Amino acid sequence: MGRKPKKNDSLPGSLDMLILRTLSLRDLHGYGIVQFIQQSSGNELLIEEGSLYPALQRLELNGWIDGDWGVTSNNRRARIYKITAAGRKQLALETRQYAKLTLAIAQVMGME
Amino acid sequence: MTHVFRRLLYWKESARREALLREEMELHLAERAADLQADGMTAERARHEARRRFGNVTLIHEESREIWMTRFLSELGQDIRYGWRTMTASKTFSFLAILSLALGIGANTAIYSLMESILMRSLPVTDPESLVLLNWTSQPPQNASKQWVHVVHGIQGMFWPGDRGALVSGIFPYRGFETLSDNNPVFSTVFGYFDGHKHNLAIRGQATTAGTEYVTGGYFRGLGVAPAAGRLIEAEDDRPDASPVAVISFAASQNRFGGPPNAVGQSILVDNVAFTVIGVTPPEFFGVDPASAPDLYLPVRTSLLVEGPRAAQLFNDENFYWLEMMGRLRPGVSMAQAQSVLAPRFRQWVATTAKSEGELAKLPALILNPGAGGLGKLRREYSKPLFVLLAMVGLILAITCVNIANLLLARAAARRREMAVRLSLGAGRFRIVRQLLTECVMLASFGGALGILFAIWGVRWLTFLFSKGQENFTLHAELNWQVLGVTAALSVICGVIFGLVPALQSTRPDVIPALKDGRGGGSRHRMQHVLVVAQIAMSFLILVAAGLFVQTLNKLHSVQLGYSRENILLFSLNARQAGHRDPEIATFYQDLRQRFESIPGVSSASLSQSSIVTAGYAGKTYRGAMKIGSVPIEGASVMVVGPRYLTTMRIPSLAGREIDERDRQGSTPVAVISERLARTYFENDNPVGRRITLVDDKRDVEIVGVSGNLRHGGLKSGESSSMTVFIAASQYSPDGMTFALRTSGDPLSYVKSVHEIVRQADSSIPVTNVVTQAAEIDRTISREVMFARLCAGFAILALLTACVGLYGTMSYNVARQFSELGIRMALGAQRGAMVWMVLRRVLVLAAIGLAISLPVTLAATRFVKSLLFGTQPNDPSTMAIAGVVLFGAAMLAGYAPARRASRIDPLVALRHD
Repeated sequence: MGRKPKKNDSLPGSLDMLILRTLSLRDLHGYGIVQFIQQSSGNELLIEEGSLYPALQRLELNGWIDGDWGVTSNNRRARIYKITAAGRKQLALETRQYAKLTLAIAQVMGME
Repeated sequence: MTHVFRRLLYWKESARREALLREEMELHLAERAADLQADGMTAERARHEARRRFGNVTLIHEESREIWMTRFLSELGQDIRYGWRTMTASKTFSFLAILSLALGIGANTAIYSLMESILMRSLPVTDPESLVLLNWTSQPPQNASKQWVHVVHGIQGMFWPGDRGALVSGIFPYRGFETLSDNNPVFSTVFGYFDGHKHNLAIRGQATTAGTEYVTGGYFRGLGVAPAAGRLIEAEDDRPDASPVAVISFAASQNRFGGPPNAVGQSILVDNVAFTVIGVTPPEFFGVDPASAPDLYLPVRTSLLVEGPRAAQLFNDENFYWLEMMGRLRPGVSMAQAQSVLAPRFRQWVATTAKSEGELAKLPALILNPGAGGLGKLRREYSKPLFVLLAMVGLILAITCVNIANLLLARAAARRREMAVRLSLGAGRFRIVRQLLTECVMLASFGGALGILFAIWGVRWLTFLFSKGQENFTLHAELNWQVLGVTAALSVICGVIFGLVPALQSTRPDVIPALKDGRGGGSRHRMQHVLVVAQIAMSFLILVAAGLFVQTLNKLHSVQLGYSRENILLFSLNARQAGHRDPEIATFYQDLRQRFESIPGVSSASLSQSSIVTAGYAGKTYRGAMKIGSVPIEGASVMVVGPRYLTTMRIPSLAGREIDERDRQGSTPVAVISERLARTYFENDNPVGRRITLVDDKRDVEIVGVSGNLRHGGLKSGESSSMTVFIAASQYSPDGMTFALRTSGDPLSYVKSVHEIVRQADSSIPVTNVVTQAAEIDRTISREVMFARLCAGFAILALLTACVGLYGTMSYNVARQFSELGIRMALGAQRGAMVWMVLRRVLVLAAIGLAISLPVTLAATRFVKSLLFGTQPNDPSTMAIAGVVLFGAAMLAGYAPARRASRIDPLVALRHD
């Protein structure tokens, strides 16, 4: 499926973390999450939009996020996701691991 | 676990969720397209670009579906596949586990189902709980000098022993029935009945025998039975002047009339007395005795017509006991209340029937028993054997469970390293436990499924065993699904517990020790030994029980009968029931005997009032007092026999001659006496030519010969050499007769000729009770045969299971000590020493098991004392043999692993981590 040149595949599993992070700031529907990640990364991170949905399912299944039907800003019915307490814990864990990893990579690269 | 729940919920709502997911994605695409359009794209291009950026919608659908639904299923599938692989990888383990589970479940369910149907099932009538059986109890009828002193002067029915030598019975005189049934304040109905045994039932000229029950007018109303057709017997049918009517069973209506409606209004002949069928009982109804199912129900009063003038005494004699009774409690009345009301009433009446002070001193006292299950004959006879069997199968199930536990423990230990590896590779603990659980449940399910088959088959087989030798035995046993459920659940739970505990242990987060030595686990090792010891202890108990019952059977088979067992065909005819009368009946039988004797292959034929086995209580014979001069003969029984009886039965003739064709009506009445009688009353004198007085018949018979002693009443109960007086049938006025044919070859191959001859002589006489002498004798010990077979089977099963447990444990031990054994070998240990090292442990385990079991066995076997014959419950030789067998089996089970231990290559063992 390597059709997308800018697809974020450098850090597998990081999509979950990005979603959790996004939802820890505000409750959003699927499209909103994609938009937020793209905008807040200065359009550096372009995720394959479709892959968001399986990820959302997985996160919900693990009990980290909760989806509820609500209405978007332009008045369309949409599933609005919010992070759960377990999700916040998971986010904290993943953030720590991510920090460790990037630090390690930085050290290897002689940037530290 | 909420995890699993959540997943299941997702799975359940999969269709709805999929639609919602589609909606979510549509929204996403629409919003993206709208944004792109706002950036200046055409609508067409924006939609296209949105799709491009989104990716493959179908694939994403698939992916998300997989996440919440398929993953669960696929993991389950994986578990099952993996479980199947493990099962097939260790075929022996799986086979043994499944087989022992199946046998345990099957045997338990079958025995319990049978027990339930015999001991606990209620009669298929309205509100069986309010039915009450009327019995009475009194002190033993014999006084100190063994004379019968009791208000019961005569009986037609049964006594059975109560507590402390008391006499218990359910039969009453007709006056007693009237006393209790008239104006009864506690019973809404009281009804009586008695077993009329077999009668000749002729329908449109075709005769067969039919089991008959005489019932009083309140019988069907009291039981609350509704007819399948017509109406049932009522009070007005049971009056002296009523026209004779009959009710037939559903089965009889189908066999003989082609259905209940056709039977109503038909006329039938019962022993040549005309009756009109007025109704048919419902299909499930079998009377009040679960052990029999009468074909014919007649009003009690009609016994005067059918049973002949003898029956008159039934209704008039206050000291003749024959009618059985049941009552139905009025609403709100308890059995205790009813007893307190009726007991004084009965006592008052029965006191008036006492003929002497001695009789007055031990009057029968009325007692009430629950009647929901019907008569207790079957229960009294079989409850103890069934409890013993149930205890045994319970033990088998315990051994089975222990075995499963042991096998699973050993396997869990063996797989500890595998678990540790899987854990360290990142498998979830829950995932692994679930895997192990799936395996246990799979084993248990296979075992359970096979167990159901065994149970179905077992119930049939047991019913066959129990009914063997009893004509018209109707045991309504069927598989009890509740019991099956409980036993199956028990073994599954056992499997799961013993599968799960080690599974949880071996998936402890701390995997390092397991990875390091892989074959540790001291506590489990001890646990296994405890389980093996328990198995051995239980097996010993079962082995001893089996030994005792086999011993009992052997003793019974070696009993001296005094007459021939093989090559004799027995069958019964009743010419009187077909209308033959004195004096013609004697010549009729005589003539038949000669015709039977002329069948090619029949060397001799004779007849008697019953077979020797049933001689004590069946057939019309002389039962009154006998005297030689003025000396009364005590304890002798009379057998009414035809010519050449001793020859046919191969009873030795010791002096004089046997009864032959010279002894006819009108010639000198003769008798042949047995050796013991001769020795007792004539000592060394020659009894031939002396006379015996039959006091009640007011006549003398001349002794013409002396026969060898023979054993009456079968193998178990009969006296070893009872005193017998044979008198000539032709000189006695016989009823039904049992013919005996000495044949060459299989006796049953002559049955056809017999039927042919009887049909020619009188086609209205049915031939009944066709059986070989050997089978007739074996009937008396059918319970012992069944017991010996079942117990031997159980013992083999228990022993096998225990050996499997032992083998598993020892193999595991050897595998665990692989390196240690290797070092020993390297250091020069002898092979024999290695074998001994392992076997010694086996012996120690067996010895501990035996030591624990011995006192338990000694205590437990006392409970089966009444089921044994010629053997003591603590029979030392049986115990010794059981012990030897157990040790032998244990050694065999331990030898394979021991041999393996002695074949270890030190180099391989030392290299092994």
